[in-house]
Amino acid sequence: MLGVAAIVLIALVAVVAPFFLAHAASAFDVLQANQNPSREHLLGTDQLGRDLLTRIIVATRLSVGLALAATAIGAGIGVPLGAITAVLPQRPRMVVQRAIDSLLAFPAIIVAIFVGAIIGPGALGATLGVGISLSFAFARVASTLALSIGGREYVVAARVVGVNAARRFLRYILPNIAETMIIQTTVAVSNSIVFVSALSFLGLGVQAPQFDWGRMLTEGVQAFYLTPAAALGPAVAIAISALAFGFAGEAMARAMNPLLWGSGELAPVERASATSLGPMPELQVARPRLLATNGSNGHAEGPPAHPALEVEDLYVTFPSAGGQVDVVAGVSFTVAKGETLGIVGESGSGKTMTAMAIAQLTPYPGTVKGTIRLDGQALSELSAGQLNKFLSIDLAVVFQDPMSSLNPALKIGTQLTEGAEVHRGLSHKQATQTAVARLREVNIPTPERQLQRHPHEFSGGMRQRAMIAMGLMNNPALLIADEPTTALDVTIQAQIMDLLARINVDHEAAIVFISHNLALVRQSCHRVVVMYAGRIVEEIPSDRLLIDPLHPYTRALIAAVPDMLRSPDEPLAYIPGSAPDLADLPSGCPFHPRCPLAVDKCRSRRPPLEERATGRRVACWVANEDVD
Amino acid sequence: MAVIATARPGGPPSLVARISRNPWTGFLFRRLVSLAIILLALAFATFSMVRLIPGDPALNIAGIGATPEQLDAIHHQLGIDQPLLVQLVTYFTNLLHGDLGSSFVTKQPVTEVIQTRISNSLQLAGASLLLVMLVSIPGGMLAGAITREGRHPRGEVAFTALTSIIGALPEYLMATFLAFLFAVEIRLLPVAGAEGPQSLVLPALAVSLRPIAVLLRIVRVETLNVLAQDYIRTARSKRLPQRLIYLRHTLPNVVTAALTVGGILFAALIGSAVVVETVFARPGLGTSLVNAVLARDYPVIQGDVLVLGVTVVVVNAIVDILLAAVDPRSLTRKG
Repeated sequence: MLGVAAIVLIALVAVVAPFFLAHAASAFDVLQANQNPSREHLLGTDQLGRDLLTRIIVATRLSVGLALAATAIGAGIGVPLGAITAVLPQRPRMVVQRAIDSLLAFPAIIVAIFVGAIIGPGALGATLGVGISLSFAFARVASTLALSIGGREYVVAARVVGVNAARRFLRYILPNIAETMIIQTTVAVSNSIVFVSALSFLGLGVQAPQFDWGRMLTEGVQAFYLTPAAALGPAVAIAISALAFGFAGEAMARAMNPLLWGSGELAPVERASATSLGPMPELQVARPRLLATNGSNGHAEGPPAHPALEVEDLYVTFPSAGGQVDVVAGVSFTVAKGETLGIVGESGSGKTMTAMAIAQLTPYPGTVKGTIRLDGQALSELSAGQLNKFLSIDLAVVFQDPMSSLNPALKIGTQLTEGAEVHRGLSHKQATQTAVARLREVNIPTPERQLQRHPHEFSGGMRQRAMIAMGLMNNPALLIADEPTTALDVTIQAQIMDLLARINVDHEAAIVFISHNLALVRQSCHRVVVMYAGRIVEEIPSDRLLIDPLHPYTRALIAAVPDMLRSPDEPLAYIPGSAPDLADLPSGCPFHPRCPLAVDKCRSRRPPLEERATGRRVACWVANEDVD
Repeated sequence: MAVIATARPGGPPSLVARISRNPWTGFLFRRLVSLAIILLALAFATFSMVRLIPGDPALNIAGIGATPEQLDAIHHQLGIDQPLLVQLVTYFTNLLHGDLGSSFVTKQPVTEVIQTRISNSLQLAGASLLLVMLVSIPGGMLAGAITREGRHPRGEVAFTALTSIIGALPEYLMATFLAFLFAVEIRLLPVAGAEGPQSLVLPALAVSLRPIAVLLRIVRVETLNVLAQDYIRTARSKRLPQRLIYLRHTLPNVVTAALTVGGILFAALIGSAVVVETVFARPGLGTSLVNAVLARDYPVIQGDVLVLGVTVVVVNAIVDILLAAVDPRSLTRKG
């Protein structure tokens, strides 16, 4: 906005000022030469006693005018040159494009000086020089635009239905390239002002007695010690006009394409219900609500005296526009040593957030409350340094997408060994030996060779196996696998699942397996926790999952699993309604709007998670009433 | 060549095969071919320059009052009294022998002019590049780490405003402001000449401030992008110290992007150096070029443009090769 206003003002001055002030600008008075700013001469005078401010204002027309002329020349040469690539055959097009790219690599100012040298020093040479140096950028943009728009479906469709070329250009192509060309032109004017003034400044542009800002700058610099304002005045004029056009162009670009031109700021977490992991995890130390009676291990009741993982009353909270949103709300469960626990639910159910909270990888600005005990050790009792060491050894995470979860710039070997070197103090040699053993364990052939390779040389299945090998480096007590097979082929899926099962036995590692794939979870887990809207709604041993699921949501999930044996005519089962908005949860049981069995009580009161037997819990008024 | 020569017939049979199968071979070959083409085009452009001058260039040099004998002498010196093809062959032959002609003004061989001045220009460009990289990469990464995921929004606004203003100020204005500050106000550093390392400070600052601002913004955004990648989450899941997360896992991926832009910035930096040399009266290729254009000293213009152009082209080629070394995936990419 400011940029546009400044442009209008500059244009006005350029058009109007010379009519009134041209005479005053050349009126010299040698007695008043080289004066510093005073009330009479706001910026002082030059070596011939001419008023500097008047001269700067009058010079606006020539400075901006030459810049506009240079921009017109640049566009006039560049746009046709670039647009022509759209109609050229493949090979000549490549040649022209490569030529444009090569020319773009040369500094514009040197190109302008070179052209100016041919024409000879003067306003014409400078304008032509700057125009030609700008034409390459115009050609590049025009070529990109023409190629992308000319090939778009609606333009092709228009041609197919017989819209003629001229009409196609006016109706379909021009409106689409106009925006970008306006932006490009505004930025080019900004550059033009700078370059033309630079050439004048160097003495290669406007020659006396004519004067533009660049020329005035040169004269001002010669009188630097006497009257600094003589140089600073034109310098500021150049800077302001260049900034005005530059900012106006950038503002237009930003308004038209916020994604491409945004300064990179990431959108704030508006709806924390987007539980799929946010952009970046952040190390966060849990601040537990200490439950006084359950503080130490001795009192802990339940099956194993020393489970691999105990989660108690876990909350993960994100700020949002309407206040704080709990994406995980009071989740408690345990995983025994050597056990595999599955966590299932729709996207947004909080399953991944639960896992990330356990791994202390909750993304910013989320906060975690509750007690997490890993291998008997409450994480909150550790200092930051102890926590890092403890987690690095006792916990490993295998992420969903092996294609993006390994660093493309580092060798597999480095990525496998670094954790053990840092936290267990192994020498590089020892760590490498362990890495070789682990890679062999996950069936990667010639492990010594693979350590020297980069992730892009690995297939998807191999990368996920390398990720698992990385997780096994320190013999963790717990392995969290967050949808480890979702991004892989079905055949590779089976291999990875077999591998996890073997690790479960061989390393006695507990595994928390997160998935939306109920069939996979039933096959590979001992116990299943079903989550809905940030809460556990049912916990069930996986061998009972198909026999007597209690919660209507669990049943709906099971019914929604596609079945090869189902007749193709039968409609696919699905759960009516959509996952709830965590910022605005329904009253009572959060599932009630989608539940076929809902009764009045479900709408008003939230059902507690009741323990029905060891490893069997359900949060449902109807299901629990059946038994009572 | 040297590597291939060591592949004796009785030696390991795979050496030649290994070289031809190595992705670097094709990559370097493609790079060298395009480098050669661009250099040829550059030489052709400087050759064409004198021939493209409207009217008789000799008149520009000797003035309107020149006698036909004087004009003929200049024609001969410029080589434009020969048929065009002969001119072209002579020009390229001389070029290959390192003969760029002699200055009309000082009668000095152009190669000598370039030799005495190139080191001043290289020092300026090199110091500026070093300054740009040393400030922008750590600075941009720090800014990225501080403002990641919307942390410190006000700091981000201030950063963006400051860098956009500095990034929009051309080098000669920067030079003028610096000269004003140090010549008139502080008088701490020399504002003219090329005596000693202190004379390098102001020109290098003037040349590099703008690219520093531009690159700072790019590096910050790139750092944000890299920090949001899954592999950084993986690194954090390994509980690596911040030092390793930033230096080992983030830096190489950020540098790739910084280098891509760095090549373009360095070319622009050479252009800036030409202008800034004139402001600070530093005897380099830039001042030589500007004076030659003013004096219509065509052989010197040709020589200076050729040297500046070759520098740009070679630097771009080096950046490409560096990029390939940092990011092996770009080896197989076309372009």
